[in-house]
Amino acid sequence: MQPTRCLLKRSVWKGPHIVPLPIVRPEPGKKVAPIRTQARSATILPSFVGLKFQVHNGKVYHDVTITEEMVGHKLGEFSPTRKPFIWGRK
Amino acid sequence: MVFILGVNFHAQKLVKKALESFYALGPQTSARILAKYCIHPRAKMGSLQPKTVTALTAELSTMTIENDARKIIQDNIRRLRDMGAYRGRRHAMGLPVRGQRTRNQIQTARKLNKIERKG
Repeated sequence: MQPTRCLLKRSVWKGPHIVPLPIVRPEPGKKVAPIRTQARSATILPSFVGLKFQVHNGKVYHDVTITEEMVGHKLGEFSPTRKPFIWGRK
Repeated sequence: MVFILGVNFHAQKLVKKALESFYALGPQTSARILAKYCIHPRAKMGSLQPKTVTALTAELSTMTIENDARKIIQDNIRRLRDMGAYRGRRHAMGLPVRGQRTRNQIQTARKLNKIERKG
């Protein structure tokens, strides 16, 4: 990652855009339902790694599993909002 | 004819322009290299001493230029693509990445935005 790109993104004094999300720590042996959210602008924090999200794109919720390299990006980047135009598709 | 890093330059070519012909080496870096080796900004390749030419070649071989620099850019694009980010998706489609309009005037994006980026 380029250091300048990180710096130009947002003022340092603001810190990352943190949205209160209903995050449940998975207990061993139990399955946790994915976190359904419309907060596309929420920054992915290092504590999110391994969690499953369902991110809204305005119409449906897309499943996103957070990996280590996604940290620092926004949730909305992984839920495309536009359908590519293909001629003749209904 | 002067050889620098395996490339043949004409004696009449400006040293600054010759350095800038390498990928990932721009006006600022080339000006800094000229200052480091006490070369006049308008100096031609023919006026360089053989000692300076070898020093320039040694300097350039330690920098990340040409294919090393291209590989860094390609790795960054591939990382975006592999994690499924919007920017990586736009690169794969060959479309503008930063929200530009796509009705017309997207020649630069068509040329450059690829997974295996050339330029």
